Amino acid sequence: MNGRRILVVDDEPEIQRFLRLALSAAGFEPIAAVTGAETLKALVNKAPDAIVLDLGLPDRDGKDVLRDIRSFSQVPVVILSARDREAEKIEALDLGADDYVEKPFGIGELMARLRTALRHAAPATPQQARFEIGGLVVDTERRQISRDGEAIRLTPKEYDLLLALVRRAGRVITHRQILNEVWGPAHNDDTQYLRVFIGQLRAKVEREPSAPVIILTEPGVGYRIVERGGS
Amino acid sequence: MASPRRPNDGRPDPEALLARSQREGRARLKVFLGAAPGVGKTYSMLQNARRVKADGVDVAIGIVETHGRIETGALVEGLEMLPRRTSSYRERIIEEFDLDAALARKPKLLVVDELAHTNAPDSRHPKRWQDVEELLDAGIDVWTALNIQHLESLADVVSRITGIVVRETVPDKVLQEADAVVLVDITPDELIARLHEGKVYLPEVARRATERFFTPGNLTALRELALRRTADRVDDQMVDYLRLKAIEGPWNSSERLLACIAPNAAAERIVRRASQLATSLNAGWIAVHLERPGEIADAQKAEHVRSAMGLAERLGGETRRVSGADLVEETLRLARRENVTQIIVGARERSFMQHAFGRSFAEELTRRAGQFEIHFVHTQPAPAAPRPPLRRVFGMATGKRMAVETGVAALAVAGAVGVCEGLSEVLRLPNLSMVFLVAVLFCAVRFGVRAAVIASFLSFLAYNFFFIQPVYTFTIAEPHELLALLVFLAVAVLTGSLAGRIHDQREGVIRNAAVTQSLYDFSRKISGAATADDVMWAATAHLHATLGRQVTLLASAGEELTLQAAWPPDVQLDAAEASAARWAQQKGEPAGWSTGTLPRVRFQFRPLQTARGTVAVCGFEPPDAAAALSEDDERALSAVFGQTAIALDRALLAREAARATSFEENEKVRDALLASLSHDLRTPLAAIAGAASSLRDLGANMSEAERIELLASIEEETGRLSRFVANLLDMSRIEAGGLKARRDWVDVADVVRSAVARCRKAFPNARLRVSLAADLPFARGDARLLEQVLFNLLDNAQKYGGDGESAIHARREGEDLILSVTDEGPGVKPADLDRIFEKFYRGGRSDGRKAGTGLGLSICRGLVEAMGGVIIAQSPAARRRGTRIVVRLPAVEPPPLPGAET
Repeated sequence: MNGRRILVVDDEPEIQRFLRLALSAAGFEPIAAVTGAETLKALVNKAPDAIVLDLGLPDRDGKDVLRDIRSFSQVPVVILSARDREAEKIEALDLGADDYVEKPFGIGELMARLRTALRHAAPATPQQARFEIGGLVVDTERRQISRDGEAIRLTPKEYDLLLALVRRAGRVITHRQILNEVWGPAHNDDTQYLRVFIGQLRAKVEREPSAPVIILTEPGVGYRIVERGGS
Repeated sequence: MASPRRPNDGRPDPEALLARSQREGRARLKVFLGAAPGVGKTYSMLQNARRVKADGVDVAIGIVETHGRIETGALVEGLEMLPRRTSSYRERIIEEFDLDAALARKPKLLVVDELAHTNAPDSRHPKRWQDVEELLDAGIDVWTALNIQHLESLADVVSRITGIVVRETVPDKVLQEADAVVLVDITPDELIARLHEGKVYLPEVARRATERFFTPGNLTALRELALRRTADRVDDQMVDYLRLKAIEGPWNSSERLLACIAPNAAAERIVRRASQLATSLNAGWIAVHLERPGEIADAQKAEHVRSAMGLAERLGGETRRVSGADLVEETLRLARRENVTQIIVGARERSFMQHAFGRSFAEELTRRAGQFEIHFVHTQPAPAAPRPPLRRVFGMATGKRMAVETGVAALAVAGAVGVCEGLSEVLRLPNLSMVFLVAVLFCAVRFGVRAAVIASFLSFLAYNFFFIQPVYTFTIAEPHELLALLVFLAVAVLTGSLAGRIHDQREGVIRNAAVTQSLYDFSRKISGAATADDVMWAATAHLHATLGRQVTLLASAGEELTLQAAWPPDVQLDAAEASAARWAQQKGEPAGWSTGTLPRVRFQFRPLQTARGTVAVCGFEPPDAAAALSEDDERALSAVFGQTAIALDRALLAREAARATSFEENEKVRDALLASLSHDLRTPLAAIAGAASSLRDLGANMSEAERIELLASIEEETGRLSRFVANLLDMSRIEAGGLKARRDWVDVADVVRSAVARCRKAFPNARLRVSLAADLPFARGDARLLEQVLFNLLDNAQKYGGDGESAIHARREGEDLILSVTDEGPGVKPADLDRIFEKFYRGGRSDGRKAGTGLGLSICRGLVEAMGGVIIAQSPAARRRGTRIVVRLPAVEPPPLPGAET
């Protein structure tokens, strides 16, 4: 992971300064951009491995920049924003951002998100067939789920739902993305069904369904399945 | 007749329940009903009042006339008497019931004697029963006394029986809607005995007339009326009770009456008869006004209809209007639609013409009525007391016009005589009557039917006198001449009246066209009016043009009803007029002139109503205060009121919509402010938290220099955050008015130097030029606040000035001290020059630009103004770039130093 090049896009010099120091201390190679135009130029010229993108830029809206990035690149993007309005975050995630971190944040949180994003973007390893999360084992070839060696029976929809989360383990996935993937585009706004299914799924996979540790809620945004928690 | 209702299913009738619940909302009215004065109504009422007072009810006496009767007077003792209002009328002082005092006192139960009483002219309502209605509306229970002869529908009967015209009447609905009726009854013999004992009070003047009234025959008849009325009421209550409890019928005759009102003197009679019939049948009834389209009603006929329809409403009937070519068919259609069972129609003596040319309305109706029962009411003009003032006015107008028409007819006939004389000199004409026919037609075409008929008869006489042998006598020698003359008369009358009718209808059409045209103009005018104000001015101007009198428009501004527009514009309303207007607004009914409320006010106030309620009140002076409004005026006014109400409603809605939009905009601004505040607080926090966590997590991997850099960053950002918080606190202090600026002598040069030093510390890389004039005076102000102002300005110049140089400059200008801070940034748009001093205003979007609080300049303005100075912004400052903020403070001469004089 050393030497991975991270493009930090933020117009606040103080943020740039500590991110530069922190990223290099963590073994990354930070490069900086202040405007949307600089970001796109740097993306083409310097080929960063991931982008940390602030949504408020002096020349244009960060979401527009993200849309431009996604039009030609699948580089992992972690959104960095002081905006705490859900709609903004969801929009950015739906536009193809990999994750987000809200200002103010601890460096540890940013690093974790960044690493997850980088790992998922790693050159396609053969399609992973087996996941292990907190004692939960998902075998995609046999469509079998077990916890602590005990088989769990899931309905087909519950299985699809779990799979959608597991494939993006560690990263947030928005309501809309889940609905689109599991139920199809016609049900993009039916979040109430999703809540019911998540409840049922938690009842089967969590040890303590009232205090979930595997399937976590990102309030107002979506869900996130832990990468390797619990065990 | 069998009831057409559906089979009873044992459920209470919803109508009965509804009527009962409506009654429950209102206060209760109890009427002590008697057949004649002296039966003991007041006595009985007071006795009852004492009893309920003993039970602890809050009773007061609004007004009671004891007429010096000792027994009655004794009952008043110990009951609370409300003060009376004195009123002077024709130089006499009258004591009246004080409605406002009663409303202010608001007892549970109020005793108000003599319901039929007519109030003094300056009272709010002309009649006491209207006072009582208002008391009931205000939630005060009322007990009152009434003699049966004062009941509106019985006025006719009573005057027939007793020969006395009843002037003070009470609408039947008052008694119908009373919650309880107590019949106070003694036999006629007893009453007459009491009269002889002097126990019945009679004023000296009226004694003789009244004594004629107290005959056993009269009293028995009146007693029967009173008993029957009470029995009817008991009957009604029984029916209501049965309906309410869903007890099996038949209990309702379900009869429904239709009274046909034609524009003649019998109209009121038909209405009264219908009301009586309806009461005895326990049936609902409708009065319908039959109107022939294109028929031009003269003022007198219109008045007949108007008063008959008004009477019908007061007697509790519904009113309708039908018009159409076939009035019989229209009437029957209405009757079928309204489930009418019986029709009441006037059987009039028909004229010669009607006999000759067809059936009368009543005959035709009878022929085609089918299932309906028809009642005929004889319509001999009643000897009933006419309405003197109105009749006189119309009589005068008609008389004058008649004189003109007679004169014109005489002139025309004289002309015809002259022409015939002249012609017969020259040539021999076999038949000169044609010339007279011309004269008749001339009159018909120019002056209408009546002039034509007069001219016909004059021609008849003149032709006979001048041209038929023997001439210059009215005798006729030859029988064939007589025949010819009569034929001439018939022809003249027929053609004359035909031509005249065309003339009359033409006049009507022209008048209608003028009204329509002016309405059209008006609606075009107000449809272009954008604001409620424009609509109101247009409406008053238009009404003024129509009526030729003063017009006012009032609308609610907040709580108060205020004058919004008037024509002529300087019209003012006095207190009585204003209260009539308020009445019209609150009750949604007309008030003022010619209405039941404050009729002596010179304006009539009409509520302008839409689906959303009363939007305004229009007051207008009538064209003729002594006469009712003509039907044309009434129609024109209603149309204008309707249009105005709609236009006002539209304008008000538009205003509300605009207000909603601006509210939304405010919301947007607030959202932007919050986003901006949140950005400004979070950015330094993010830098601090990020740097601190980096040091903790990754500090081991960093060099010493890197660690110091992160620590410095934490320090700087803490300073920035603290400045922001200080600014917020300053701002709230300024806003709360808690900022006290001292007014000391301030050495400006000193202050500038210290602000610059602070700025250099905060922005080590700043390029800053300072220029201070040599003759700088002192300023009056607060050194600490001034330094804050200058620092904020310099801070701004650093943030927005880009990499350019900023400058601070101080000099004297007359009595003022000028301080300015200039940057070389992109400048401010002219439109924003003022707004930059607004709180939280910053150029550009709510985030994604230079960190700042959006408070700096607005704090500067607050501080400068607290010191009695002025602050403005100029842009561009120089070479189309840059912003200059100028502070102007009052200068003072330096204090004389002791010992400095030479």
